[in-house]
Amino acid sequence: MIRSLVLALSFAAALPAAAHDLRVFASVSGGTVTVESTFSTGRIPTGGEVRVRDAEDTLLLTLPIGDGGETSFALPDGASETGLMIEVDVSEGHSDYWLLTPEDIAHGQETN
Amino acid sequence: MKTLMTAAALAACASAAGAHYGMIIPSDNMLSQDEGRSVDLTLSFSHPFEGLGMVLEMPEEFTVTHEGETTSLLDTLEETQVMDDAGFATEYRFERPGTHVFAMTPKPYWEPEEDAFITHFTKTYVSAYGDDAGWDAELGLKTEIVPLSKPFALWAGNVFQGIVKLDGEPVPYAEVEVEYYNEDGSAAAPSDLMITQTVKADSEGVFTYAAPTSGWWGFAALNTAEEPMQYEGEDKAHELGAVIWVHFEPWATQ
Repeated sequence: MIRSLVLALSFAAALPAAAHDLRVFASVSGGTVTVESTFSTGRIPTGGEVRVRDAEDTLLLTLPIGDGGETSFALPDGASETGLMIEVDVSEGHSDYWLLTPEDIAHGQETN
Repeated sequence: MKTLMTAAALAACASAAGAHYGMIIPSDNMLSQDEGRSVDLTLSFSHPFEGLGMVLEMPEEFTVTHEGETTSLLDTLEETQVMDDAGFATEYRFERPGTHVFAMTPKPYWEPEEDAFITHFTKTYVSAYGDDAGWDAELGLKTEIVPLSKPFALWAGNVFQGIVKLDGEPVPYAEVEVEYYNEDGSAAAPSDLMITQTVKADSEGVFTYAAPTSGWWGFAALNTAEEPMQYEGEDKAHELGAVIWVHFEPWATQ
């Protein structure tokens, strides 16, 4: 599933991984998704955009990066079955993504 | 003469020219999100170049440390065979990004050939999900090698630097043995002297080694404990090894 999402959204391969790169991680706790965005230096982005897409590449949500680099939202209907692609863009071209797989969602719902 | 040569050949086969190492080898030391969420870990006490196993009893401790928090994984260990001898294996799922340090404190091993006990405090560093934060973590073990080079994401030919510590203090001119994990048996040493190489730390306990090829390399800084251990009523030396396993990557072209 992870690899199929990567293939379906192949634009992700072009994202940079250089110095001062952005790092994105998303996890599920109950019915809430939390996205964490930090620079490799440990600094927190002061602004930026979080886009949430389904496995068909349909844009579901666009949210601002919140305080402390965290962005939370309710798990969209159907996401448990198909997973989510979460893209984060901040200024100066820094961007990254996290593929939240159905397995990740199930694990988060079981353990948190 | 034939009898003598046969005996010599047998003796050569039966003895190991290399050093013994505590080993923790993960299936992947830089796990990206598209590679999965967990790694397999194999624990052993072995001669890594020659592929000779030794018995590893259930360790006293086996832990993972992440962002300063240490968690015991002892209950997750399952018996397995490593190099035809007793070892342990487990699978670990990464809940968070960042560097995770896996560390083993084995039970002291009685080595009659050296008339001494051996305890190798063994560790390896694994980066999860593209995040290297915490790569220089010091665990506060009795003895350990604290990395000065990031202990992953190294090319073959890069140097690895670490500082040898005992009881939290640098060990000036510490002796560090270096050995390659000859996993597929393809590496050949032109001399027994090249199975285990040795470097010494400087006056600040810092050592440097350039790995000539990709793969897993073990670094063992050896010291002797102040307190001897007892064996059959006699005081015996207790070797304290600070072991770290570091993977070097092959140079890649597109």
